[in-house]
Amino acid sequence: MDWTAYLPMLWQGAVVTMTITLAAIAVGIVFAFVFGVMRVEGGPILSTVALCYTEVFRGTSLFVQLFWFYYALPLVGLSFDPVTTGILVLAAHAGGYGSEIVRGALSSVSVQQLEAARALNFSRLQTLFRISLPQAVVEMMPAFGNLAIETLKLSSLVSLISIADLTFSAQSIRNITLDSASIYSVTLLCYFAMSLLLMVGVRLIERFVRRGNAFPRAAHS
Amino acid sequence: MHITKIAGLSALALVVGIASANALTVDEVKQQAYIRAATANEVPYSYMQPDGTSAGIGPDVATAVLKSMGVEEINWTVTPFGTLIPGLKAGRFDFAAAEQNISPERCKQVAFSEPNSSYGEGLLVKKGNPKKLTTYADIAKDPSLKVAVVSGANNVDFLRAVGVKDEQIVFIPANADAIPTVQSRVDAYAATELTVSELAKDQANVEQVAPFTDPIVNDAPVRNYGGFAFRPEDKELRDAFNTALVEFRKTDEYKAILGKYGLSEQSIAAAAAKNVADLCAGK
Amino acid sequence: MMYGYEWDTTTWLTYATSILPIILIGLTVTLKAAAAGFAIALVLGLVFALLRRSRIKAVSWATAFVVEFLRDTPLLVQLFFLYYVLPEFGIVLPAFLTGALALGLQYAAYTSEVYRGGIEAIPRGQWEAATALNLTRRQTYLDIVLPQAVPRIVPAMGNYLVAMIKETPVLSVVTVLEMMGLANMISERTFEYLVPLTMVGLIFLLLTLICSALLHRLQMALPKAGIPMR
Repeated sequence: MDWTAYLPMLWQGAVVTMTITLAAIAVGIVFAFVFGVMRVEGGPILSTVALCYTEVFRGTSLFVQLFWFYYALPLVGLSFDPVTTGILVLAAHAGGYGSEIVRGALSSVSVQQLEAARALNFSRLQTLFRISLPQAVVEMMPAFGNLAIETLKLSSLVSLISIADLTFSAQSIRNITLDSASIYSVTLLCYFAMSLLLMVGVRLIERFVRRGNAFPRAAHS
Repeated sequence: MHITKIAGLSALALVVGIASANALTVDEVKQQAYIRAATANEVPYSYMQPDGTSAGIGPDVATAVLKSMGVEEINWTVTPFGTLIPGLKAGRFDFAAAEQNISPERCKQVAFSEPNSSYGEGLLVKKGNPKKLTTYADIAKDPSLKVAVVSGANNVDFLRAVGVKDEQIVFIPANADAIPTVQSRVDAYAATELTVSELAKDQANVEQVAPFTDPIVNDAPVRNYGGFAFRPEDKELRDAFNTALVEFRKTDEYKAILGKYGLSEQSIAAAAAKNVADLCAGK
Repeated sequence: MMYGYEWDTTTWLTYATSILPIILIGLTVTLKAAAAGFAIALVLGLVFALLRRSRIKAVSWATAFVVEFLRDTPLLVQLFFLYYVLPEFGIVLPAFLTGALALGLQYAAYTSEVYRGGIEAIPRGQWEAATALNLTRRQTYLDIVLPQAVPRIVPAMGNYLVAMIKETPVLSVVTVLEMMGLANMISERTFEYLVPLTMVGLIFLLLTLICSALLHRLQMALPKAGIPMR
């Protein structure tokens, strides 16, 4: 099987995939928190804006979003390079789902906590940052873990907008060697390995979050 | 309503203004010392090699011509054939070197260079040509036959012109998918003669149809003329490229490049005989 | 969006209205593919879930591995695998079926987890009572376990159906002419991407909203205690 000569190309593609995924997760978390908090704490206008963002990016296919931002948007003047476009769209998509996770977790903070905060004269911002979010973050971790894996899988779609990720490299190699079975098997195994790595990473973060003093266990009363 | 219309139009004018102010000039290209090109990975017209360098009729000629213009570095992007023109218009690259056929339809969207190569059509079929196909019209005769075409390529127009029905046509995303598709899903793959001969090389399961008759469209056998595509607003760049290209066409190096990829003396002469203005007008 | 409407009074509106029939045809393919894929996912997911609960360790672990593998690898690559590799072994499925199979496999991994969760949520008392009443495994599942599990799992299953509809555009890379593939083809011919892509995006959004509303209604209508299977 002389496809082993192409392993360097696959490795490069894997690096691109991992980079894009991690970048998209990072930016997506920012989007998730911003829009999740906006939805819960914002006034009627901000809340509606957040709702629209969530509905649009959750309710349309990532495939369509990628093509729209890559081919349609430049025609009205707004154009980024492929990798940036890929990361931003992935992040926006993940953020759409993430904002719902944040919203759900924030809403699940027990009312007594909020009342106690008000009794202690905490401002809304203080309540949010010192009481609600720390407890909510613990709740969010499992769902964010799933979202991370989903983002890794969805990152394969950026190969369709000419980004040289793992799937793109696999396709290129397959086009040269015409050996579909081995190339696609290896690619699937690569993604599987990356998913497992990601899961381990998420578990570690989860443990750190549960242990730290800043994030007390959620008080269920 | 009025205000929104005015605001909208001014925004559009501003955007268009910004966009056209960014027309790429030769000096700008020389200053940044590189130019961005696109290929659709179609051997032998324009493709990337595993080591990352470009090769093919288009890239080799483009590299030589640009060198004579003082531009040494070309950054290549691989993009599906159907997205070459949209990508060009979206500013993702500065020219397309995929030897696309210069058609009146495409001329409305992009500014082509003078023709660089000329080629006829071809069919890729299973080994042994079980359906005994010799031309596109044979596919039209049997409605149960299926033929594959790359999405965005104009071979589909020729197929339709000789009577092939839409239900018979399967669109594949890239040229390289042709071999597995012909092996198990369709009866033939319609593309240019060179593309097909390259695909069929050293393949045990597929072969090029020979002898093959070019489809007759508008009472004449089809002949394609491949060229380089630029954005309409980059006229200065295109004209500078054209001047250099026409000069380069007179050299032996040019003939050597085209000959290396399988183009015959006649097709090289045929390309030189046409000019882009005529082709865009449909002559 | 009134501003957007203003734009449409130029040729964009005629463009949009003229390609609408084509897009709708693509929509029927999209829905058919999602329906076929979901049917496969429902059946296969149940098979996976039951195999996971098998008492034979080897079967249980093998199934767990397969399910995890399907869940953690991209749909796009699985689709390429099925489309290009199966013919090498002599199995040439039409593109549509290949796509439905790929969707079905990927989502079977998700639905098997939902089934498992639903079945495991049945209180132990129910299982013990079934044993005490001398019911066979088949009777236990059909008359006790599944009827109670179904209302619990409907919300999650419904969400996966909606998610699957939104993943159908992937099928366009293996020549299936669903909505997004058609929009791309139109755009490649007219060189105008904005209108078709926006239309497709909007239709997906509408689909999602309608399906979510229908799902909500279904949830309300289901009896909480369970649905008798026969």
